[in-house]
Amino acid sequence: MLKSKRIEIGNGVILNLVQTDKFKSNLLSYYFLRPLNRDDVTKNALLPLVLKRGTKNYPDNLLIEKEFENMYGASYSSAINKRGERHIIRFTMEWASGDYLLDKDQDLKVIKMLKDLIFNPYLEDGVFKKDYVAQEIENHKNRIEGKINDKRQYAIERCLETMCKNENFSLYQLGYTEDLKDLDEKKLFEHYNKIIDTSIIEIFYVGNVSEELEKYLIEDNNMQRDNIVSIPREKIISTVSQKTAVSEKMDVNQGKLVIGYRTGIPFEDKLYNALLIASDIFGGGPNSKLFRNVREKESLAYYIGSSILKYKSLMIVDSGIEFQNYNKTVDIINEQLEELKGGKFSDEDIEISKKSIKTSTESIKDSAFLISEFFFSQNICKDIRSLEDVINDFDKVTKADIISAAESISIDTIYFMKGKN
Amino acid sequence: MVKEIYNDRIKEKILYEELDTGLKVFFMPKPGFTKKYAMFSTHYGSIDNMFISKGETDPTTVPEGIAHFLEHKLFEEEEANIFDKFSALGANINAYTNFNQTSYLFYTTDNFYESLELLIKFVQSPYLTDENVEKEKGIIAQEIKMYDDNPRWKVFFNCLKAMYVNHPVKIDIAGTVESINTITKELLYKCYDTFYSPMNMILFIVGDLSFDEILKVVKDSEKKGSSGEFTRIYEEEPNEVSQKLIEEEMSVNIPLFYIGFKDTDLGHTGREAVKKDIVTNMILDLLFTPSAKFYSDLYNEGLVDQTFGAYYTGKKTYGHSLVVGQSNHPKLVKEKVLDLIQRPVEDILNEEDFLRLKKKNLGGFLMGFNSEEFIVNNFIDMYFDDFNLLDYLDVVENVQFNDLVNRFKSHFVSDNMVLSIIKASKDE
Repeated sequence: MLKSKRIEIGNGVILNLVQTDKFKSNLLSYYFLRPLNRDDVTKNALLPLVLKRGTKNYPDNLLIEKEFENMYGASYSSAINKRGERHIIRFTMEWASGDYLLDKDQDLKVIKMLKDLIFNPYLEDGVFKKDYVAQEIENHKNRIEGKINDKRQYAIERCLETMCKNENFSLYQLGYTEDLKDLDEKKLFEHYNKIIDTSIIEIFYVGNVSEELEKYLIEDNNMQRDNIVSIPREKIISTVSQKTAVSEKMDVNQGKLVIGYRTGIPFEDKLYNALLIASDIFGGGPNSKLFRNVREKESLAYYIGSSILKYKSLMIVDSGIEFQNYNKTVDIINEQLEELKGGKFSDEDIEISKKSIKTSTESIKDSAFLISEFFFSQNICKDIRSLEDVINDFDKVTKADIISAAESISIDTIYFMKGKN
Repeated sequence: MVKEIYNDRIKEKILYEELDTGLKVFFMPKPGFTKKYAMFSTHYGSIDNMFISKGETDPTTVPEGIAHFLEHKLFEEEEANIFDKFSALGANINAYTNFNQTSYLFYTTDNFYESLELLIKFVQSPYLTDENVEKEKGIIAQEIKMYDDNPRWKVFFNCLKAMYVNHPVKIDIAGTVESINTITKELLYKCYDTFYSPMNMILFIVGDLSFDEILKVVKDSEKKGSSGEFTRIYEEEPNEVSQKLIEEEMSVNIPLFYIGFKDTDLGHTGREAVKKDIVTNMILDLLFTPSAKFYSDLYNEGLVDQTFGAYYTGKKTYGHSLVVGQSNHPKLVKEKVLDLIQRPVEDILNEEDFLRLKKKNLGGFLMGFNSEEFIVNNFIDMYFDDFNLLDYLDVVENVQFNDLVNRFKSHFVSDNMVLSIIKASKDE
C-alpha cells in the first residue's frame, strides 16, 4: 500500500515522506500555500523567477546550472498553480539516485542545493539584486501576455474569468502586467520574507528514505516562525442567477467553444465521486456521450471533452469547431446533458467510467511526481484516505447517485472565440 | 527462440523474439510497476509518400497526410467501436503518426492480455468503407485547423519548409484540408497492404508481466500471411536550403523563432547515426542551455527568455539542428548565433564543459528509465534506425571531445542556416 508518513515539524511546516525503491531517482518538493488574491498573485508568480537567478553560494544562474549538471543533471523546476482559491508556489528537484551512480554524496548535495535556492537567495544591500528583478519583471510580463498564444487554454481561462468574475477564483494564476509596474527589488523582497515567514509549507520526499535522512530533513527544516496564515476553504456557488454567453473575435482558423457549469457538489460531499463519474460518462473519453455524438456521429470536432474543477465544483466542456457550427454543437451538448440527467446511459457506461477513473488513479503509483502531487492534494483537502481507499470508493457509486449528481449540473457561461473575418 | 539483452549499468533487460511472420516482439520487465504498456508500430510515417509496392514496377505517389488518415481509420470496425472495447477492459488506447512511424498504444493496470489481443487484432484488420472514409474528413479537418492555430507548430513547420526543397519531412503530418479530401478507400488499402506487413512492424511491451504469456497471446492472435517487399522512394534532396528566411503573422504576444541548420552528413543508421545524434546534441547543449555562456549573455541582454533552447533530430534521409525561442528581436538573435558559429572552435567548446555534460547525460538517461513512456517511445524510435536503446550509454561513453570539434566545423555553417519567424499580428 502506498503511504505517506506525515511529520508535523511545527510552526506550519509539514514533512511528508514516501518510501519507495521503485525509481532510479529521488524527488524533493517544497509547496508554499497562499491565499489567492489580487494583491499577491502577481508577486507570488514572479518570485520563483527571481530566486532562480542566484543564491548566496552561487550568485548567478550560470553557476547554478553548471552545478545542476555536475549533480548528474539534477532537474529543477518551479510552478505556480491555483488550487481553488489557494495559490501554490512549488519548488522541486528530481535527481538520479546516488545508489545508481555510486556517488554517496549526491543525494545530500542536491537536497542542500534546493534548500539554498528557496531560502538563501543572492542579495545586494540586503535585498534582491536590482538587475535580476528588473529583468524578470520584463520576462514575467511576456509570460503573462503569452497566455493568448495557446488559444485553447486561453478560451478556458476567459470562460472561467467571466463565470467567476465576483470570486477570487477568476484571478489569472500568473497575475497582471499592470501590477508589475510598481514593483521593485525592495517591495519584492519584503513580499518574499512574508511568504517564507508566514506560509504553510508542505515538504515531500519520494524515494529511498533512511533513518539518517529523515532525521536530517526534520532538523534542517525546523524553522522558528509564528503568524502562520491559514487559508479558509473557498465558497461554492451552486445556483446560477443569470446565464451568460460571451463571444470574442481573434485571429484564428477554428472556433474555440468553452462551456462552464456549476455543480454545487463540494469535494467533501458523498455525491462528489458520482459527479466525477457523471462528467466522465458525459465527456471523459472516447466512450463518452460528447465524443460519440459531436465527433464520431456528426464530425463536428476533433477534440471535445468535459472535466471537473475539484475545489470550486465546476464543470468545463471545451471543443474546437467551425465557426458556423456553434449553434448545432451547443444544441447537441445540451441534449446530451439532458440525456445524462434523464439517466439515459447503461450500466456498462458506468462500469467503463469507473474503470477509466480507477486506472488513471492507480497509475499515479508509477511516477514520483504524481505521488507527491496526490498526497499534497489529499493534505489540502484534509482527506485521510489512502490511494487504495480512494480507488475502492468509486465502486460504491450507484446509477441513482450519478443521476442526482448530474441533476445538479447547471449551465452558467458559454464562451466562444470566433475568427475576425 | 527468445533472446535476452541485459545492461548491468542501468540494471534493465529486454527479451525478444522474431516470430515466423517476421513480426518482432520485445519485452522489458518492470517488476513493481502498476501500469502495463504495449505499443504496436509500423515503420511508416508521413514522409513515406512515394513507394513501389510488391509486384509493381512503377512508383505510387499518395496524398499528403495519408499515413495519419489511415491511423484514424484503423479504429473503425464492422460491428463495434474499438474505443468501446478497450474502455470496457479499462485500458486507455491511443495512437500517433510522426514523420517515420505510426504507433498504436495502450496502457492498463488490469486485463492486459485481453487488451493485447485486441490491439493486435484491430491493427491487423482494417475495415474501410466509402462512408466511413468520408466521415473522417470532417474530424481530421478540425485537427488540422487546431494545429493551424498553434504558433509553435507553425514556426516549426515553416522552418522545415525553409530548409528542405523536396524532402517530404517539410509537409504537415496531417496533410492539408485539400490533400485529405482526395483520399479514398482504395488508396488507404494500398498503403495498408504495403506498410502494415508484419516484417515492417514491431511490438514493444513494458510492465510487470510474463513474456511467455505475451508470446502466446501474440502468436494466437496475429494474422498469418506473407510479408511483401516494397521500396521507399525519396526525391533527391540538394544540400542547399530552400529559402533563408520565412516569416508569417499570427496572433501572438511576442515573435517566435526557429533557427535551423540543415544536416548534409546523411545516410547513417545504427551506432553511427546515434553517435552523430549525441555529438550534435552535446554541441547544442554546450551553446544553448542555461549553463552556457552564450545563453547566459543573451538572457542577460534581454534578447531571449527561459524558452530559449536547441536540439538536433535526424534520420537516415534528413536531419537538422533547431535553435528555438521567443524574442522581440529574432533577427538579432540569428545574427548573434551566426557570429558565434563563425568564431574559432577552441573559443567556444572546451573539454571541462564536455565532461560535465557527460555526467548530465548519464543521470538524465537513468532517470528516463523511471518512465515506461520514455522506454517505449525511445526504444521503437531507435529500433527503426537499427539501434538498441540499452546500448545508448556505451555510445555516450565513447564520444570524444574531438568528435564535437569535427562535427561543429562541418554542420554549423552559415550556408546551412535558415530563420523562421512568427511575427505578432497587429490588433486593430
